[in-house]
Amino acid sequence: MTASPAPTGPAVEIRDLRMRYGDRDVLRGVELEIQRGECLALLGPNGAGKTTTIEVLEGFRHRSDGHVRVLGEDPATASEAWRARLGIVIQQWRDHGRFRPLELLEHLRRFYDDPRGAAETLELVGLGDQATQPAGKLSGGQRRRLDVAMAILGRPDLLLLDEPTGGFDPAARHDFHELLRRLVSEEEVTVLLTTHDLAEAERLADRIAILVDGRVVRDATAGELAASLGREAEVRWRDERGRHAVRTEDPNRFVRELPIDVEDLEVRRATLEDVYLRTVREDEVTA
Amino acid sequence: MSGALGAGVDRARLELRMLLRSPRELWAQILGMVVVVVVAGRLADQAAPGGSVPMAWYVVSGFVAASLFFAGMLNVPQMVVAERDDGTVLRMRTLRGGLTAYLVGKLLFCAAVTVATVVGTLIAGTLATGMPLPSTVGDVAVLAWVVLLGFTAVTLLGAAIGTVLPNAREGMMYALLPAGVLFAISGVMFPVTAMPAAVQAVADAFPLKWMAQGIRAALLPDAALARQGTDGWQLPVVAAVLAAWCAVGALLAPLMLRRMARRESGSRLSARREAAEQKAAVVGR
Ligand SMILES: Nc1ncnc2c1ncn2[C@@H]1O[C@H](COP(=O)(O)OP(=O)(O)OP(=O)(O)O)[C@@H](O)[C@H]1O
Ligand SMILES: [Mg+2]
Repeated sequence: MTASPAPTGPAVEIRDLRMRYGDRDVLRGVELEIQRGECLALLGPNGAGKTTTIEVLEGFRHRSDGHVRVLGEDPATASEAWRARLGIVIQQWRDHGRFRPLELLEHLRRFYDDPRGAAETLELVGLGDQATQPAGKLSGGQRRRLDVAMAILGRPDLLLLDEPTGGFDPAARHDFHELLRRLVSEEEVTVLLTTHDLAEAERLADRIAILVDGRVVRDATAGELAASLGREAEVRWRDERGRHAVRTEDPNRFVRELPIDVEDLEVRRATLEDVYLRTVREDEVTA
Repeated sequence: MSGALGAGVDRARLELRMLLRSPRELWAQILGMVVVVVVAGRLADQAAPGGSVPMAWYVVSGFVAASLFFAGMLNVPQMVVAERDDGTVLRMRTLRGGLTAYLVGKLLFCAAVTVATVVGTLIAGTLATGMPLPSTVGDVAVLAWVVLLGFTAVTLLGAAIGTVLPNAREGMMYALLPAGVLFAISGVMFPVTAMPAAVQAVADAFPLKWMAQGIRAALLPDAALARQGTDGWQLPVVAAVLAAWCAVGALLAPLMLRRMARRESGSRLSARREAAEQKAAVVGR
């Protein structure tokens, strides 16, 4: 066993990360830091570079330029012992389709020093009932849960999850959120996940980073992001001239000054979705 | 390292169990033996031209060599490509010693299947043709080392070939063609003596011809030498050629597996899958 570096410093440190394929720049100076025990959600439109970023962190892809440290080591040169401390869910695994979940986890336990129990791990992800059904015959969401089970089996220090809840039904999603929260709070696991589900990001993440066109354009807590829109809200109503929607800093006053006879009055506070959409659109305009 | 070896043994055990659980795959394995019984059984009474050894015995001996060869050249690459494309190789790469365990597991699994196939083919062939099983220590020993060297050579080569195939479906074409040509020129069923020198030289350079000859040496009576056109069974040459190919495979296979695994990533898997799905959609139309 190689001694693991002392658990100081951020779990993930990315500075000026660049990635180009041929003559196309996919990552153009990504800056990101994740503290130990923190859960960060990486959001961004399709093709923004989320998967690319995660693959650089996993050591699966070699960056073109920039400084990257994961658990204190450079993923490009890190050892297999280092990788044993990561739990990885990639966007599309379909491996080991003929194995049964229970026997697969029992087998994979051999590769770790202090793994969780196989049956226990299946229970954790809610696959207890499918323990002996071949992995290839699981439903999409069940298969995904098996991926998560494999990722947490070795009690990793850092979880890198690329769209881990794709295909989950609402109940499975809820259970998965509970599980992640427990891992973060009880075992101080650091988590980086990508998702297209904004509610999920808001519920799970301590911090949210938005990646657009190969750059992190926002990086803040969910609260800060909402606050950044100020107290701004959208007021909607209907009158004899039709439907109206107005954004305002002071919805209270605005509503008070509306004529008496408006109908279907509605006041919507800014949500993470508003922040997200605005951020993505603004950046696309300036890009 | 011992951890990785142990895990490799465990993988082989699991894969064998899955094979036994899957009736369809099991049948594919048994099919070869059924063919031996049918083909060799029909020839049981005919003596091969120019000798006293029944033609059927040649067929049995040839089938043993052919099943070894095709298992290594077709099944192994297909397994490697399939497990690259479904992410199994990438998963093993994320584990400490995972790739070693993967290779060891594959080798042991294939070895077990090979031993079962050889023994099964021999028993089936004996029942169908009355060919005596090797009975002297010398014959058994020759059979054992020829099978061991031949298996190691073609399995390692097959694994190396698998790493460069584009995908499972097209891959089979690329692997089948050269294997078929080699089969045709190597005199697997009956020794070939009337080949153009250039073709003969090609057959001489590859392991298949020598595997077949070594297996004949172990299974057939020395009367079969008459058809061979050589003074003896040339066992030292058999050993040398097979050992040389084992060495090439042992160098190449781990190197190329690691190279392939290094280039794998989640998005490569997705890209290949999308390409395959698009192709399937076009073909389906
Ligand atoms: N091997 C490659 N060669 C060329 N371009 C690539 C390669 N891999 C990814 N790209 C491109 O890089 C860009 C970023 O891809 P990436 O998969 O990181 O996006 P993403 O943010 O994960 O998107 P999604 O939300 O759809 O998963 C895309 O435009 C993609 O086409
Ligand atoms: Mg992605």
